[in-house]
Amino acid sequence: MTIPLLETHDLVKDYEIGGEVVHACNHVSLSIARGEFVAIMGASGSGKSTFMNMIGCLDVPSSGTLLLDGVDTKTLDSDALAEIRNRKIGFVFQQFNLLARTSALDNVAVPLIYAGLGYAERRERAKAKLEEMGLGNRLENTPAKLSGGQQQRVAIARALVTGPLMLLADEPTGALDTQTSLDIMGIFQKLNDDGITLVVVTHEPDIAEYAARRVVFRDGKVIEDAAVKSRRRATAHA
Amino acid sequence: MPNILGSLAGWGVNVAIAMTALRTNLMRSILTTLGVMIGVFSVILAVAVGNGAQVSVTQQIATLGSNMAIVVPQPDSGSGPPRPTDRGRLTERDGRAILRQVSGVSAVAPQIRSSVQLVAPGRSATTQATGATPEYGVVSNVTASEGRFLTEGDVSAAARVVVIGQTVSDKLFADANPVGETVRINRVPFTVIGLLESKGSNLGNDNDDQIVVPITTLRQRLLTTATQGPDDVTLLFVGFDDEEALLAGQVEIKRLLRDRYRVPKGRINPFTVRTTTEIAETTGQVTQIFQAVLVAIASISLLVGGIGIMNIMLVSVTERTREIGLRMALGAKRSDIRNQFLVEAAVLCVIGGAIGLILAMVAAAIFQQLADFPAPIGIDTALMAVAFSAVIGLVFGGYPAIRASRLSPIEALRSE
Repeated sequence: MTIPLLETHDLVKDYEIGGEVVHACNHVSLSIARGEFVAIMGASGSGKSTFMNMIGCLDVPSSGTLLLDGVDTKTLDSDALAEIRNRKIGFVFQQFNLLARTSALDNVAVPLIYAGLGYAERRERAKAKLEEMGLGNRLENTPAKLSGGQQQRVAIARALVTGPLMLLADEPTGALDTQTSLDIMGIFQKLNDDGITLVVVTHEPDIAEYAARRVVFRDGKVIEDAAVKSRRRATAHA
Repeated sequence: MPNILGSLAGWGVNVAIAMTALRTNLMRSILTTLGVMIGVFSVILAVAVGNGAQVSVTQQIATLGSNMAIVVPQPDSGSGPPRPTDRGRLTERDGRAILRQVSGVSAVAPQIRSSVQLVAPGRSATTQATGATPEYGVVSNVTASEGRFLTEGDVSAAARVVVIGQTVSDKLFADANPVGETVRINRVPFTVIGLLESKGSNLGNDNDDQIVVPITTLRQRLLTTATQGPDDVTLLFVGFDDEEALLAGQVEIKRLLRDRYRVPKGRINPFTVRTTTEIAETTGQVTQIFQAVLVAIASISLLVGGIGIMNIMLVSVTERTREIGLRMALGAKRSDIRNQFLVEAAVLCVIGGAIGLILAMVAAAIFQQLADFPAPIGIDTALMAVAFSAVIGLVFGGYPAIRASRLSPIEALRSE
């Protein structure tokens, strides 16, 4: 029995909006093991994004415990959290969040800057990741010259470049058409097969069917947590 | 050691990020830099002009001669019944007494000064005439570059001879050699015996616009108003052997003259005795104040430039909040974000400072050419400019940078 990659106990996040307290995350206890592929579902405002921001160390819980790789994040200062985001977690966003007017290669190299790598090594690793994503011929293109699917693949390369344990994707297919969405899920499945833990937040039920486990949020609480019965497979177009 | 190398590499990356950000908003960056540029430009130029004034004053004092006291009669404006000495009086006899009785005196040069009109065939000029003795040349370093200076013979014979300055020569004889020519001074014909060695000009004061004639000749032939006594002088230059003798001599001269004119105790001296050292000190202080005022005024524009930097950096932070959030999500520490914006401000300032420095050097060179006024920019001034602009960058870029680094990653990411 190994320790779970991620474990939460009574995780709470409260917001105060207009004098009223909103429980965006209400005593959530969840455990995610290494190598899992989890889809987090729920309507808008259900707390799924808040939960993901907390497990991604982007947001700080109001109370409760979050153990990442066995470490209680409460004990970590902002620098240590930044280091976890850099080394252990890769983020993929709905709007890709690439730096404009910056080449694909330089975009992918950004996390390596904060990992303290030298220029030549940054370029080499970023190039390798982009080639893995099938973008070897797009290294110097800026985001404006890439399609949505290509941009998201640059973003995935960027998330993977530091060799993280876990990929967190917030509505990764929200801005993509159906076929491109399938491609992205195919990439995720392949990455998962290679051993990376994946947590994907989505509100689309058919996207969730590519995951192995589905967690459903409503009003800040987990209302369903089960294995996906008829799991779909997508073939990655790399 | 790897830590130091790592942080150095980190700074290099920050410079690269800053350059990219500045290029992205090129026009804005240029306008912001302009503020710092003008600020540094004016401060450097102010320092240069101040330095120039100091150099100029030092040169001017050097042309007076060193280790010299200047004795000038000083009319007493105080109350009480008028006395002969109240009108301010100094004679050649006083000069001889000083030479005899004050220790360390090397020479005394009595002088009468008067404004005169010079006429050469077809040309005329108005200038200051100094009636002097050969000692004048010794005490105040005046020599003839062409012909000769005054001699004892000229003085005792009250000869109608004149030594003229370069400017006067230019006016009357253009490029021709004036020696041997005749000029009429206040309608009296004089023979030019020499050309004074040029001493240039300082602070708009032309040292070559003067002539020297024997004191006796000036008194007999050129003075339009009668003096009180037959050997009255306008002033005395007293040359000393060294600076020590000068300091002691200044007091001795005062005492001697008070005795000679029987000035009662408590009454103000009817003459002033100033030394070249004193003159150098006072004018030095004046030019320092002049420089401080200039720099203070110029600093205001640097301050305004700095505020411009802060303004733009705040705009930049606000505009790029999402980028800051993204960088934090990708592993940027607070210090990374802070340094990124600090470096951006510093780069703006250092570029502005460098251009400002270059412009100031060009302006100083032009100024030097046009106004014949030295405006030296030394290596110290240049270093100061660079340090100044870096400090401006750190001070005015600091607040926006710290603000950026304090953002919460998720709130920054969510911003539009």
